[in-house]
Amino acid sequence: MIADNWTFVAAAYGLTAIVLLGYWRRLAKKERELEALSRRNAERRRAEPSSRPPLDESPLQQHPRP
Amino acid sequence: MSYARRALAVAWKDLAVERRSKETLNALVFFSLLLLFVFQFTLGGDRERLAAVLPGVLWLGFVLSALLALGRTFLVEREHDCWEGLLLAPGDKSAIYLGKLVGNLALMLVVEALVLGLFVVFFDIDLGRAMPGLLAVVLLGTLGLAAVGTLFAAMTANVRARELLFPVLLLPVQVPVLLATVKATEGLLLGEPLGAIAHWVKLLVAADVIYVVVSVLTFDVVLEG
Amino acid sequence: MVRTLGWLTVAGLLAGLVMAFGVAPREVTQGNVQRIMYVHVPLILASYLAFGVLALASIVYLIRRDAVADRVAHASGEVGVMFVGLGIATGSIWGKPTWGTWWTWDARLTSVAILFVMYLGYLLLRGTIDDPERAARYCAVLGIVAALDIPLVHFSVYWWRTLHQPPSLMKPGGFTGSSAILWPLLVNLLAFVLLYAYFVARRIRLLCAEAEAAA
Repeated sequence: MIADNWTFVAAAYGLTAIVLLGYWRRLAKKERELEALSRRNAERRRAEPSSRPPLDESPLQQHPRP
Repeated sequence: MSYARRALAVAWKDLAVERRSKETLNALVFFSLLLLFVFQFTLGGDRERLAAVLPGVLWLGFVLSALLALGRTFLVEREHDCWEGLLLAPGDKSAIYLGKLVGNLALMLVVEALVLGLFVVFFDIDLGRAMPGLLAVVLLGTLGLAAVGTLFAAMTANVRARELLFPVLLLPVQVPVLLATVKATEGLLLGEPLGAIAHWVKLLVAADVIYVVVSVLTFDVVLEG
Repeated sequence: MVRTLGWLTVAGLLAGLVMAFGVAPREVTQGNVQRIMYVHVPLILASYLAFGVLALASIVYLIRRDAVADRVAHASGEVGVMFVGLGIATGSIWGKPTWGTWWTWDARLTSVAILFVMYLGYLLLRGTIDDPERAARYCAVLGIVAALDIPLVHFSVYWWRTLHQPPSLMKPGGFTGSSAILWPLLVNLLAFVLLYAYFVARRIRLLCAEAEAAA
């Protein structure tokens, strides 16, 4: 009977799970940090009564063409 | 100024600078001598082992020299604050690429000829029959290295950790060229007919065409800023 | 929408696990260690998808200079490198008991290893350039060069390993495929493609949010 090598199976699946979960948690953590940051920015902006010029077409979606 | 004229002007300028200062050339020659000595220490005694690893060792020498040469190709522009000059150059900037490519090719071929000559002399290798094929393979391989190398050198010229990033980016991409040149050189040195290594030569030609065309088309993008 | 994708992915992965361990048979020549294939192959194939998307997104970016295309390339590169790295690791773990060695320089392994290093370099380039517009441009160029290099890598490595050489050792994939093995493989492949899509979608959303916060 051929050996089953379940330890290797566990190692492969385990490593995959750990790395994928790790990446998922990293995404979640960054999202939370960004959320907190933008909330703080919004609060600060509300506290300041100074008006900001309205943004026209978002400069973020289009990089300057040469 | 016509496109070709601009390209040649860049090449001529680079070669003239090199001829006067000889900085890169000296570094490469010195480096090649060092390689030669190290190979002699490790392999010199055993002729059979030497013959077996010679193609790989030879191209290792060529590649390491290429990394040195290509890594420095935009050094002059960077150090003397001429980078903006490149960015503001009128017309098709790919002329600059071709000029740099020709300059790099010339430099690399000179060094390779020197390294090859040293190897032949110090390791007593008979190149006779292999010569024309070897010449073609060396030319094609060097063009492949220089084509992508010049593009990547421009890309990494102004980034952090440039000296580390440049070889890290270049070498994996160049694996097909390295494989093809080493196997073709091996075949030639074993006296095989050109037909036996024809597929390697075809791969090198294909690679060179792809690399040069892509680089010419994208160099403008790299020099936008 | 990202959340639905997430739940679909979880369902797919669970189904995949059930198929891999409950439905798939015990392989005749290798034993149960062959079940590693049900993560290894999907990871590799999904990474190919990731790199293909990266190449396309890079071309789109250079033509249209649309920041979203750049973010697609960025996210796809991250997930692709992660998947291919895991693919290599699981392949190595599979290889040790079946081949007796952690690594061998056969054609497929060598090609995949080169792929891994190439796209790792892509991520490194992104990490080194601070200006997002320049990073987008340079990475698009690198993405295109890398993609065009893939057939060259494939042929050079394949010729290196097969010409004037005896055929390579039996690969883990070298067993007679049957439908009993095919279905679990397909389910897992679908699950990992969903996982790729989910990760990329979430990463792009994060990149857009980061860009807005920096403004």
